[in-house]
Amino acid sequence: MTAEGVGPRDRVAADLVHDAPCGIAVTDPDGRLQYVNSTLERWLGREATELLSLRLTDLFTPALRLFYETHMAPMMRLQGHVREISCRLQVAGGPPRPVLLSGVGRFDAAGAATRFDYTIFDARERHRYEEELRNATREADELAAIVRSSPNAILRTDPAGRITNWNPGAERQFGHPASSVLERAVADVIPFEGMTDWFRQARDARAETTFEARYATGSEFEVTLAPIFRRDQPHARPDWSVVLRDVTERKAAERRLEVMVGEMRHRVNNVLTMVSGIARQTLPVDHGQVFIARLQALAQANDALSRSEWTGAGLRQLLDFAKREAGGGDRFRYAAPDIELSARQATALSMALHEMVTNALKYGALSRPAGQVEVRCDWEGQGPERRLRIGWVECGGPEVSPPTREGFGTRMIRLVLGMDLGGEVRFDYPREGFRCQIVLIPGDRSSG
Amino acid sequence: MTILDRNCVVDSGPEGKPPLVFVHGYGCDQTMWRRVTPSFERVVTYDLTGMGRSDLSAYDFRKYAELQAHADDLLQIIGALELSDVTLVGHSIGASIAVLAANRAPDRIARTVLVSPTPSFLDHPERGYRGGFSRKDLEGLIDLLQENHLGWSAQMAPTVAGQPADGSAAVELTQSFCRTDPEIAAHFGRVTFFADCIDDMAGAARPALILHCDDDALVPMQVAEWMQRHVPGATLKVLRATGHCPHMTVPDDVVAAMQEYLRQAA
Repeated sequence: MTAEGVGPRDRVAADLVHDAPCGIAVTDPDGRLQYVNSTLERWLGREATELLSLRLTDLFTPALRLFYETHMAPMMRLQGHVREISCRLQVAGGPPRPVLLSGVGRFDAAGAATRFDYTIFDARERHRYEEELRNATREADELAAIVRSSPNAILRTDPAGRITNWNPGAERQFGHPASSVLERAVADVIPFEGMTDWFRQARDARAETTFEARYATGSEFEVTLAPIFRRDQPHARPDWSVVLRDVTERKAAERRLEVMVGEMRHRVNNVLTMVSGIARQTLPVDHGQVFIARLQALAQANDALSRSEWTGAGLRQLLDFAKREAGGGDRFRYAAPDIELSARQATALSMALHEMVTNALKYGALSRPAGQVEVRCDWEGQGPERRLRIGWVECGGPEVSPPTREGFGTRMIRLVLGMDLGGEVRFDYPREGFRCQIVLIPGDRSSG
Repeated sequence: MTILDRNCVVDSGPEGKPPLVFVHGYGCDQTMWRRVTPSFERVVTYDLTGMGRSDLSAYDFRKYAELQAHADDLLQIIGALELSDVTLVGHSIGASIAVLAANRAPDRIARTVLVSPTPSFLDHPERGYRGGFSRKDLEGLIDLLQENHLGWSAQMAPTVAGQPADGSAAVELTQSFCRTDPEIAAHFGRVTFFADCIDDMAGAARPALILHCDDDALVPMQVAEWMQRHVPGATLKVLRATGHCPHMTVPDDVVAAMQEYLRQAA
């Protein structure tokens, strides 16, 4: 039936089919095209006369042909239709066009197929959207797999700390199946020694928080809480992701190491004391004093280092040792940035400073009452090229002339600073006072 | 659950008669044989594990990564029914499964009927074999199967013009054919279309009737000729038919060819 003014029913139907907002195709039982509407002609970029010599499968990509023959064609005969197959049609001179294809079979009384009718909808928009959806699903699946297979306990809580998600790692660590912990307060499910409500404490920090805690079984955990802000509820209080890593073994190893460091410090001090004693009894008095003084410089550096658990020592700390040896602030002044040197650099530099102070006291500026030493440490260069320049300048001492041979002290300075640290060392002997310049990269390559 | 329940095995016809066991191909289920089976006496049909009405939970993705797992299922069914002198009738990848089973148990299986078989869809130029499809074509198919995840649930609601208006009947009808879980469909698709049974076909332990459509978009004529040359004891019968499923499009021709072959064998 048609309303008045639209035109005769047959003509409306013909127009509708021909110019429908979807492609329409009819094939014989063997799939040969018998009719295509003008919409489909336009989409495919081919004339009807050309299309009518083809089969429907000629419009398909090879992949779709496989799908059609193995799935769609049997379905058409078994159930009489296929619906919304997402696929692409080959387009003359263009990229394949994403479409949704539905088909319905017509059969005679004996059940033999007489023809197949297809409607084809443009699916470019939907295809893009579905592609994004599939990618998002794939990504979510991958992330979920990571969480599922992680040995760490990974959970999510609501803003109040009630567990909403509990991974298999958590199940293994704490022995509770997810079903028995959901909706319960995380700090009740996982109590830590001496912490009543660790969730609230961490949550109140309102930012990512990491702490270590001991669980009832004696296992120790590193716990990281991070807020999960929800994009769809920007003003809501965040949920929390809670990751618990079993660090029992690491903590035990750390404690063993601490004991060993203490023991080693003790032994090193004993050995140095013993060597001093041997030197005092074995060497002639003057040689013995020089040796013992050197040993003391070493012991001082060693002490500073062991207090920092062998991680390093401050540059200013080493310069303070030198100042004390030199006779205080009237005789020895320095300006230096507050930086940490590695253990190896600190040992080497303290030995070098000791040699230079000893030398200045014996032959240089400090051998005269008015003589002084001034040390300046400055940064030089930028980024990875940044180096520390240490300048040693003596004045007010006896007139200097270049030495005719290199003494042990000088050789040792070159050895420990140059060879050990890859630093550059330069000695100058202007008449008014000895000068030395050391350039090194603090903390680098010498940390071992 | 016995394997007969698990794979929805349907055993019909008199027990004394030599049995025909039908193996369906990719993308469908045992219903695709319905226009052929009434012409034979003792008939066994079933759904491959993961397909149709089989128990989907039995589909172990690692196990069924090998086609042989489906052949082992088939032999288990034959064992459970205590069948002997069996004629295995397989379509497409079902034909490959039939040959794998016959090679493993040639004492129980007398012969095979291979409907639109192919040793490999993929070209193997280094072995002088052309299956008709490149790796890229087949990867495209896997993408298509994944794309039609979303289409799968749409298959459940066949409100298409020309369908009976009775909704519940239509839903039941749709759900009863060619059911596939999308993940299994994609997995079995990969197993099927990348399967390489060239050596198994060339070493077939039992004679085979090969039925090939002269106008098959999936299996080119040269593959049928390869089968005739390489499968020991092969008889090639080319049917004048379009498509990959002659048992659905020209079932009478398929029945006639099979009956003639079985008569000669007997």
